[in-house]
Amino acid sequence: MRPDVDRFIDVVASYLMAQLAPTLASQYDQSNVTILAVLLMAVREEFERAAARRVEENRALRRLFAEAAPVVQAPALRQRLQEAAAGADASLLVSDLERSNSALRALLIDLHAHVEDLTAPAARRIEAAIWQELVASTERRRLMMGPF
Amino acid sequence: MVEELTVSGLAANLAAYIRHRLPDAEGVEVTGLERIFGGASRETYRFVLSYHLNGQALSRPLILRRDPPGSLIETQRAVEFEAYRAFYGTAVPVPEPLWLEEDAHWLDYPFFIMQEVQGFEANPQLIVLPPYAEHAQRFAERKWTILGEIAKADPAALGLIGVMEPVAPDQCWQRELAHWEKAIDQDELAPQPVIRAAIRWLRRNPPQPAQKISVVHADFRTGNFLYDTEGRIHAILDWEMVHLGDPLEDLAWGLNPVWRWAHDERAGGLVPQDEAIRIWERASGLRAMSDALHWWEVFSSVKGQGIWVSGAKEFTDGKNQDLILALSSWLMQNSQDRAVLAELGYLS
Repeated sequence: MRPDVDRFIDVVASYLMAQLAPTLASQYDQSNVTILAVLLMAVREEFERAAARRVEENRALRRLFAEAAPVVQAPALRQRLQEAAAGADASLLVSDLERSNSALRALLIDLHAHVEDLTAPAARRIEAAIWQELVASTERRRLMMGPF
Repeated sequence: MVEELTVSGLAANLAAYIRHRLPDAEGVEVTGLERIFGGASRETYRFVLSYHLNGQALSRPLILRRDPPGSLIETQRAVEFEAYRAFYGTAVPVPEPLWLEEDAHWLDYPFFIMQEVQGFEANPQLIVLPPYAEHAQRFAERKWTILGEIAKADPAALGLIGVMEPVAPDQCWQRELAHWEKAIDQDELAPQPVIRAAIRWLRRNPPQPAQKISVVHADFRTGNFLYDTEGRIHAILDWEMVHLGDPLEDLAWGLNPVWRWAHDERAGGLVPQDEAIRIWERASGLRAMSDALHWWEVFSSVKGQGIWVSGAKEFTDGKNQDLILALSSWLMQNSQDRAVLAELGYLS
């Protein structure tokens, strides 16, 4: 669709902040319109990467689960990891990707808690890989306007 | 479902309430009522109260803090009011609290009224810019000295025992962690693997017991005080989460990386962290032991994420669709994860 979404949002956000907000009598309404413009800029950033970051992360998590499964001591968790590792995203709709991402991240929490209690060097290696993925996951979600 | 009052309807009902509170006053008028930003958990309005008493014309700018529809923190309203009452007139500057009203029939929801401290700035992003930025050291001295005064204060002498839930020095961390873990359990809209890892770390590495039980403001940060162009702080606001606990909780919260408004290493956008701690220790007479402070710093990010995910849930459920909740949910959740990764040494 043209104009591109990023261009469209730039124009709308700029109108809200620079033209509409100063005309409003209420300070509260002014602030809300400014917040709306900032939110739109965040939406602009997220729109571009929404599917890509979820696909990338879901693949990374499935790889991690495949690597971790042999180290896991609990049979039920090991089976869940193997099943998740064998999965794939059939749809690229953001809502579908988000659903599978949530399921994979819930499993990541269970895996992380499990390997923290193991003493084998292989468990430490998986734990390090999990922390690496947690750092990567925050970088994928980072917003330019975030305070830190 | 309560039909929402219009602003003029709210002003009329507010005037009726104040007539009830000031039976000897004549010509009570509420003018200039307008909503302002002042914390997402309560609606905040400013207005001017005018009346005649004993032949004298009086006028006063005031603040109305009203519970929003769907508020889940009813018991905290009275506690917040009592905190203002306790510190008013002390070394901790706060607006004068006037009336607390729990009966919803006046304004549809419970509320309280306090003095408006006029003519000062609260925006945390402006304090790092001219003409305020040149006073960063002075702001820091005042900010962490006031926090030290809060930490030093005796809750019993302030009349706050019985108002706030008591806690033993070795139980502070467990109570607060359980509270915020429960909030995340109830409100998270998506799994939080970073914060869950932090919670497990906190349970494996408990801090030493609190040196004393203090009043904990619980949201003491740049953004929750009123400041001027000369480096002075005129009022500490937003006591919504005040409780009794470990004073290091307050110190750590204000040091959280998400409040580094200057986008550098300075705590609260003002001074290096070591300097902030030094000021606080001098004012409070307490020690900020590094292990215990580190525990509370990690905890601060868990608490922060608890606040952001709860706000996101309220917004999504339609209980409170204040845009500030959407903004904080989007901008703060990722920053909070980054903060806790940095605090645990996984992000430089």
